[in-house]
Amino acid sequence: MTVFHFFNCAILTFGPHAVYYSATPLSEYDTLGTSIKAALVYLGTTLVKLVCLATFLQVSENDSFDPYQELLKAVIGFIDVAGLYFALTQLTHRNISQNHKFQAVGLGWAFADSVLHRLAPLWVGARGLEFTWDFILQGLEANANLVFSISLAALGSLMWLRKNKPKTLIPIIYACAGIVATMPSITSYLRRSLGWNFSKVVGFELFTSLMTAFISWQLFVTCQRPST
Amino acid sequence: MAAPRKAREGEVFESVYSVIALVFVLVACVELVDGVAVVDVYRLIQYDLAGVPFGSRLASLNHHAGSSLFAPGTDLSRTVVMIPVREVNITFIREYVVQRQPLGGLIFLLPRMFSPENKDSMGGGDDFDKDLMKNILVELEQLLVHANIPYPVYFAFEDDNINAVLVDVKRNDATGQPATATTGGYKLVVSAPEPRKLASPTVTNIQGWLPGLKADGDSTQLPTIAIVASYDTFGAAPALSVGSDSNGSGVVVLLELARLFSLLYSNPKTRGRYNLLFGLTSGGPYNYNGTHKWLSSFDQRLRESIDYAICLNSIGSWDNELWIHVSKPPENAYIKQIFEGFSNVAEELGFKVGLKHKKINISNSRVAWEHEQFSRLRVTAATLSELSVAPELLESTGGLVDNRHILNEAAVIRSVKLVAESLARHIYGYQGKNVNIFADNSSLTVNPSYIASLLNLLSRTPRVAPFLSKNDPLIMALKKELGDHTIDVNLQHEALDGMFTFYDSTKAWLSIYQVASVTFDLLLLLVLGSYLIMLFSFLVITTRGLDDLISLFRRPPSRKVKAA
Repeated sequence: MTVFHFFNCAILTFGPHAVYYSATPLSEYDTLGTSIKAALVYLGTTLVKLVCLATFLQVSENDSFDPYQELLKAVIGFIDVAGLYFALTQLTHRNISQNHKFQAVGLGWAFADSVLHRLAPLWVGARGLEFTWDFILQGLEANANLVFSISLAALGSLMWLRKNKPKTLIPIIYACAGIVATMPSITSYLRRSLGWNFSKVVGFELFTSLMTAFISWQLFVTCQRPST
Repeated sequence: MAAPRKAREGEVFESVYSVIALVFVLVACVELVDGVAVVDVYRLIQYDLAGVPFGSRLASLNHHAGSSLFAPGTDLSRTVVMIPVREVNITFIREYVVQRQPLGGLIFLLPRMFSPENKDSMGGGDDFDKDLMKNILVELEQLLVHANIPYPVYFAFEDDNINAVLVDVKRNDATGQPATATTGGYKLVVSAPEPRKLASPTVTNIQGWLPGLKADGDSTQLPTIAIVASYDTFGAAPALSVGSDSNGSGVVVLLELARLFSLLYSNPKTRGRYNLLFGLTSGGPYNYNGTHKWLSSFDQRLRESIDYAICLNSIGSWDNELWIHVSKPPENAYIKQIFEGFSNVAEELGFKVGLKHKKINISNSRVAWEHEQFSRLRVTAATLSELSVAPELLESTGGLVDNRHILNEAAVIRSVKLVAESLARHIYGYQGKNVNIFADNSSLTVNPSYIASLLNLLSRTPRVAPFLSKNDPLIMALKKELGDHTIDVNLQHEALDGMFTFYDSTKAWLSIYQVASVTFDLLLLLVLGSYLIMLFSFLVITTRGLDDLISLFRRPPSRKVKAA
């Protein structure tokens, strides 16, 4: 029953995105266009990142953690942030409130990420006879990634779209955004250097995603108070 | 204006759809091998003897793994049982096979030391254990080869992967939960096409001449001495039948003899007054069919000129006794002369040679020794062998046990010396005289490294005749080797005796998958379903409020009223 397993893992990986879209007011305000545009921007960003990685990075034979290479990867990872900036600020969106804009952008971003990174391994691997826990863990990782993307989009919108922010909170906002942006480097450090296995890494990602969601929600709410 | 725009849009859509369809088709064709382990396995031979089927009749396998033939409550017809050879209880298996009880498949795990690629010696270990295992294997092989088994039977070598899987399977079986589709476990898959009959298998005989010295003005035919050995094998696993002793040792002794006598015959001053005919025959296990066809192809004069023939069979693992088997009565003058010549040389070399007489029965098609084919055509012949009793059909023909490690190189060297000295004394007329023609440290000394390298080559090459094509590299190599030492090398291709039919598919890959049960998948679906529902409710409550969630489930009653 391996197509069954593929189906299970697919709904774990892509289900939450659909649920998020239909459960929140996003569906009422028809923000699908925004999400699709954000997904396309993600595609473009990934292509640029690939080209940079191919040009600047050296492939190491063993799977160890090379600080210089990881630093380079983190720097290239900031292209992600640039892409998000572009999606949030430069694209013309229909008249939707800021609240929904960052959610739609984050959702589209996370959906594109899941499809590009996880659909192919799922299709090729989960349909075989062999059973591994990897695909279920990958689905959980996709969930954590959704939360991360939405938090990053929230912090991004706070940074670039909201003009009147309380002065004290600005460094915190930037700090949180920095942490979320470097999350891929942190997880690869954990996996390579400390040798955590995949399930531990996924657990860590889920935990931190909930923390960052909570923190960014609090920040968003406090920033919203002056304007209302 | 709208129509052309719509047409263009239609075109764009169509091309997008076709690209997407192409992508789906390509992706659906991707199939990877993704098992826990992929292992080389070798199938039991499948053949028909006079229309009666023998061996394992199926090749492909797709069932769950089990570890014992006696687990209660399992449906054995859907289980592949993996049995290490050390734990085989031959009586149980015999009963199981003879009673034709249903089984999904059978895999025997052989210890690493029987692998032809295993270069280390059998090493340490208990000699008693090793002997016991050899006996078990020989018995098992005879049982399987002479039974008709309607399910696939494979042999595999133990390695870490398979051992780990076996331990797991045993553990699962012990807890009383044998693997099926609902309880998970391991699945063994061999995808092989249905075995097909081998169309017109050939046997190839290789012969080489060393012509003797004809005195000037002498027009009569020189007498000939023939030295013959069959080079092909037969065993339970044809891909593993390297037959180092039966009859790799015979082939190597023959080639070394050819080399030594070619040195003698290269100089006219030392050329003997006998022609020497070397024959590497095929079809040995099948009543020496190839030898019969080879002899039948000779013309009458040549056959009459053969003084006698020495056949070599299994002379590689003896200690201090060899046997000469004859079909003419021992009182016959020729036989006496031959036997005395051999036993004198044997005494000098420090071992014994015995004489065994077995009458041939023309009406019985069974030919137990190669010399019997000569005797049926009235040529004097004898077989030199370490076996004291004639083997039965398809017995002692190079099976699973017969690999490099049971060979005794010193025995092979002594066999060469025995035959070479005896022949040379007969050829040059030194019977009874104490002469050492092939002495050590002379130019005619036996070359141990030549023997060793030939034995190594033959111990790595499975040689079941129906699976050797006419131009098989082995046959070409033997031809070249014999051609280096003799003049006039010929190949003779003949069709194998129609009584035997063979089927292909001797080697395959076994994929071992660890599978989860259906209940696991259902449980997972349940968990995921509830997770998504909870997520949905959570998001609706936090973003739209509890009332919205409740309103989703209540159908608005006002619409119907409005319609009415």
